[in-house]
Amino acid sequence: MSKRQIAMVMDLNKCLGCQTCTVACKRLWTRRDGMAHMLWNTVNTQPGTGTPHDWESMGGGFRDERAQPGHRPSVGEFGKAWTFNHEEVAFGGNPDIPLRAEGGAPGKGANWDEDVGGGEYPNSHYFYLPRICNHCTHPACLAACPRKAIDKREADGIVLIDEDRCRGYRFCQEACPYKKIYYNDVEGVSQKCIFCFPRIDAGVTTACSRQCPGRVRFVGFLDDPNGPIYKLVTQYRIALPLHAEHGTQPNVYYVPPLSPPRIDADGNPTEEPRIPNEYLVSLFGPRVVEVLEKIKSERARVANGETSEMLDLLISRKWLDMFGPFTKHPREIAESPIRFYKNGVRT
Amino acid sequence: MADHFAKIMTARLVAVVGDQASAVRRMQRYSAWTSVLAAGVIKMRCRRVNDIGKFLSPDSIGWDPGTFESVSMSPAPLAMQPTEYVRNSWQGKEYGAIRALHVAAVHDGRAWAIRAAGMSISPPHGDFPDAFAIALPVRGNPVLALMGSEEAPIHYLRWAANKDGVRSVLATGIGTSQPGPPMQCHAAAQKTHDQWQIVIKRPLNVGLPGARLTAGAKTGIGFAVWHGGNDERAGIKAFSIDWTELALEA
Repeated sequence: MSKRQIAMVMDLNKCLGCQTCTVACKRLWTRRDGMAHMLWNTVNTQPGTGTPHDWESMGGGFRDERAQPGHRPSVGEFGKAWTFNHEEVAFGGNPDIPLRAEGGAPGKGANWDEDVGGGEYPNSHYFYLPRICNHCTHPACLAACPRKAIDKREADGIVLIDEDRCRGYRFCQEACPYKKIYYNDVEGVSQKCIFCFPRIDAGVTTACSRQCPGRVRFVGFLDDPNGPIYKLVTQYRIALPLHAEHGTQPNVYYVPPLSPPRIDADGNPTEEPRIPNEYLVSLFGPRVVEVLEKIKSERARVANGETSEMLDLLISRKWLDMFGPFTKHPREIAESPIRFYKNGVRT
Repeated sequence: MADHFAKIMTARLVAVVGDQASAVRRMQRYSAWTSVLAAGVIKMRCRRVNDIGKFLSPDSIGWDPGTFESVSMSPAPLAMQPTEYVRNSWQGKEYGAIRALHVAAVHDGRAWAIRAAGMSISPPHGDFPDAFAIALPVRGNPVLALMGSEEAPIHYLRWAANKDGVRSVLATGIGTSQPGPPMQCHAAAQKTHDQWQIVIKRPLNVGLPGARLTAGAKTGIGFAVWHGGNDERAGIKAFSIDWTELALEA
């Protein structure tokens, strides 16, 4: 058990599925050999099969505190990093050659069912679900590793794989119920989201949260009463963990998505939400209904001219308020030869 | 030896499962396994030859099939696996199917070579490679099945089908293996029908923390085999349970 726990809250009402978080993470952390297929941050359309495909039925985690067997996802299930025939198209001399991935047989990519969603018109629906490693309080990956190669940092609860100790046995991949661990077959080790710990250690929030144009992601400590995480998880109780039934106590929380009214056979709006509550309950547990009602009632209050501290927090007018103590600019801590100047003066 | 080993196993199990009664019950499940120990220590003679260079390939004519010894192999028990996940996820699954390794060893006073056969070949493109390891005690009297201890480490040389050469590994207990001393080793593997034949050569004398072999002396040797096609890795393997006596000709 760590002394403190860092956590993230993602407001699904604001995620627009732009994948800026995915790219920010990819550019920063997964560019080494063997990492091409890795997306430590993913954003998938729900309802959908997610990444890796059908991960929700791949097992792992704990039931009645007993470790559950799990499936070890393949690169194909995660979604291979496609290679394209750019050279042939640009310089091949044949203007009729189309751009193709993997010679025209790409298989399913990591985000292959984007915007498909569920339901029938006029009640079709979807929302975006960003996911990273949950840096669980009881990490199934850590418990499974026979090498003791996975550590949970005492100071902030970030879960890290020691690549010097890891032998690539991949029990962690099987045990993780969220399937957020990848295998690098060049380096022979498992790899995953590190919650940008070098940035966190220097007071800079994660790349995915800082780059998010939708202001979706809050970062901070669970026990910091002045921080956004404590307020959303404990004070207002509107942020819920994903698939808590796996028993790992994930530390990424979600503000569940509201949706427009379901349309009846006569084309009239009903009292039912377009995204079925049963589906959201299957993801976020039974409290999701109560949470959605709370957000709706706060919205109604604001619409009536009242104020809502809770909605002000969700709206995040002051961007840096989203990141708890991690508000430094990366430039402040970068050991970079790049110099920034303003009006001829180095900043 | 079997009693001594059973005591150590039970102590280890108490640490894993929490109480003596459960540990004893688990030990009883492995009665067939422990009975193998009662069969006694197997001996392996290491001939002295003039030139070890004639023994560097599994099909080198120097290897005399008449000198091959058969070493019994068994699945490493689930109760010995260091994490609950590994124990639960392999419950009821078969592994460590190889029952005997056929081995022979020679030395020329400077280098030592071992030839092993009997390991089945996995189909290509699996997640884990076929692998084979030899274990030698560094000092003290390490328990092979527990992969040694701080006071009595074990030095492994591990060959894997997806890598060149062998990896030198030092262990002081289950799950503790770390890079061992660098050694000038040679490994050659051949596929014959559906089985691997492997030769590993290493210097006779090495400094600590490597395991030293001495002409005219006896030591112990152990074996482990992983069938990659069955997802065998880490403690999910076949092993030789206890030391085989290795006697090097003077």
